[in-house]
Amino acid sequence: MANLNIDSVKERTFDAIVIGSGMSGGWAAKELTGKGLKTLMLERGRDVKHIKDYPTTNLYPWEFPHHGVLPMDIQEANPIVNRCYAFGEDAAHFFVKDKEHPYVQEKPFDWIRGYQVGGKSLMWARQTQRWSDFDFEGPARDGFSVDWPIRYKDIDPWYSYVEKFAGISGNRDGIPELPDGEFLPAYPLNDVESYFSNHVKSNYKNRHVISARCAHLSKPNQIHIDQGRTQCQSRTLCQRGCPFGGYFSANSSTIPWALRSGKLTLRPHSVVESIIYDEKLCKATGVRIVDTQTKETIEYYAKIIFVNAAALNTNLVLLNSTSNRFPNGLGNDSGVLGKYVAFHNYSAHIGAEYDGFKDWTTDGRNPAGGGYIPRFRNVYKQETDFLRGYASGFSAYRFKQHNYDGVGASLKENTVKGDLGPWYVGSHLMGETIPKESNFVKLDPKLKDDWGVPLLSISVDYDDNDEKMKKDYIEQLTEMFTSAGFTNIKPSTNHQAPGLDIHEMGGARMGNDPKTSVLNKWNQMHACKNVFVTDGACMTSTSCQNPSLTYMALTARAADYAVSEMRKGNV
Amino acid sequence: MNRRAVIKNLALVIGSATLLPSCLKNGGTPVVALKHLNINPDQENLIGDVCETIIPKTNTPGAKDLNVHLFVLKMLDDCYTKKDQKAIVNGLVELDNMVQKKYNQSFGNLNVKDRVAVLIAIEESAKKQGKVKVPAGRNTKPQKNVDANPLFAFYWAVKQQTLFGYTTSQYFMTKQIVYELVPGRYNAHFPVKNLKQA
Repeated sequence: MANLNIDSVKERTFDAIVIGSGMSGGWAAKELTGKGLKTLMLERGRDVKHIKDYPTTNLYPWEFPHHGVLPMDIQEANPIVNRCYAFGEDAAHFFVKDKEHPYVQEKPFDWIRGYQVGGKSLMWARQTQRWSDFDFEGPARDGFSVDWPIRYKDIDPWYSYVEKFAGISGNRDGIPELPDGEFLPAYPLNDVESYFSNHVKSNYKNRHVISARCAHLSKPNQIHIDQGRTQCQSRTLCQRGCPFGGYFSANSSTIPWALRSGKLTLRPHSVVESIIYDEKLCKATGVRIVDTQTKETIEYYAKIIFVNAAALNTNLVLLNSTSNRFPNGLGNDSGVLGKYVAFHNYSAHIGAEYDGFKDWTTDGRNPAGGGYIPRFRNVYKQETDFLRGYASGFSAYRFKQHNYDGVGASLKENTVKGDLGPWYVGSHLMGETIPKESNFVKLDPKLKDDWGVPLLSISVDYDDNDEKMKKDYIEQLTEMFTSAGFTNIKPSTNHQAPGLDIHEMGGARMGNDPKTSVLNKWNQMHACKNVFVTDGACMTSTSCQNPSLTYMALTARAADYAVSEMRKGNV
Repeated sequence: MNRRAVIKNLALVIGSATLLPSCLKNGGTPVVALKHLNINPDQENLIGDVCETIIPKTNTPGAKDLNVHLFVLKMLDDCYTKKDQKAIVNGLVELDNMVQKKYNQSFGNLNVKDRVAVLIAIEESAKKQGKVKVPAGRNTKPQKNVDANPLFAFYWAVKQQTLFGYTTSQYFMTKQIVYELVPGRYNAHFPVKNLKQA
């Protein structure tokens, strides 16, 4: 760093730096600025401003060049991201293309990324469930990973805190394994979903089918209106970005809020190369970035650093932050950094039909997507030959069926004419996977990206536990469907690579013991107290809930602790 | 240029393509600029005539009135693999030859009844021998693998894209059905008898 004067250093010095601007980074920025900290938020991609930068949001199907279909050259150039359900002509601009940031697959792994302000919070599936002690106590009870250093009581008030601001719709279902939260009105189950819910309640102990809980403003409160958001309009075009702010995203909620404080500096086009560690001060003093437009290397300084680069990229930043004190990556005294990566098993689905409720259907669209079946396997005690369990989606729908035979005037009439078909039902597996040392990420020893940062090498795979769980899901759901009188039951399994669930977690896990974990119970590095990791990298285990809500709560909690420690002079 | 501008410009380009006068046909000038498909204007017109036979003008606009045939050309050009495009073009040639042989004139010169008979015959034998299912209207996922038989590959691809283009056209989605960009509601328990056309 040549020709830097003292003024320049001052300009580049903040109270806090947040690496990443997505689901958890947005929360870190909101909380830190809210407590008065001058905060720098670094984002490797471009800026995406709420509404203004949602170019497709109000387009009708016929306004897309291919009416929604991605051209084959784009599909063929992007075999990985093309497997993501939301990578279509309306939202492809929010996904990282395969060649834009390559990585090494020691084993097949579909790494789905969103490099822009807001990250993947723009295109997420918006399902939000709390964890319970059945989840936090899992590793200790079942003897895998390490014990979570927190319990439900530690995070409960923080779930409430983030739910009130983000806006979560749901019912108070009173299920111990899926605690209730601060809910806006739920999106109701339709007739067949309700029928199945009642059937399961009467015929199975401790099994439930509930309205999916999701981050949509079914009925906004003042706090949401204050954010500039309005009621969800049931468009279900969320992946394009929502002009109403109907669902929670960092772009619509936390980032504009933080910017309004006047304390936030948002710097897009900034790839974090590493975190700078000062051997004398025994703490991190800042970060080194590469400006992706000028290719310039710049250092920024702060008292505390939040790492929210998205689970695997957080691992990459930490592994690449080496010093004499930390030759194997920042805070990596234990040697577990990059290891015990896990994900969610989404590789099974069941479809069927129901012959009933023929006079009833739905009208409009359900942004929650339907129902949710919380984990019922191995909850109160171990009851199967595999560890842990799975949640499942459940939804019922019907649509008009057309006879597309032949050609000519009759075919043309049949594009409009048609009868409503039967009710179809569908469910998909969301299984917990067990973190293992052998599922890891590391830096490639030779290959580097366009910014001089080593490529991430990923070695993550399914195991026997996942196979047994998948089999059990098919058996149990088939049995439940059969007993409910569903017909034409069609289970299907696939071999989708880990990663396509977009729930990769771990690598910098929390734990009580610095010898076996990277972070303490406050998401604070055991060995470098002014660095906090609050994205998916911190996860000790994965349970089977959709993880974003937990990242949000952990982030708000950690920010509160970090600022109080800073004020006490402890960091 | 921001992304919105790019999309707008793209729409303009497509818009202008769709406004090219049909008098260009037979003049040796392609009707729509194709990037991948290597076909001549007569072949483009043949595809247009097949589209119009599939969704004809009745008391409402047909495929050509709505420029669905240009959309179909665009989809065949952009949204199929090279291998599939080759099969589709081979099928196009096969259709042309078949019609010439049987009727001693081109598909475009046949009367409507004969055009329909030709296409129905292909569909019937494709259903018997081929493996590809009848296409389904507003499905944005194009068939990944076209039929191995080139004639069937051509037929299903053009039929699929004609149906897709027609049922996602502005005309169809505003005049024939009611597509709501912003429903603003979700009724989970709704009587079928109250359902509007959708």
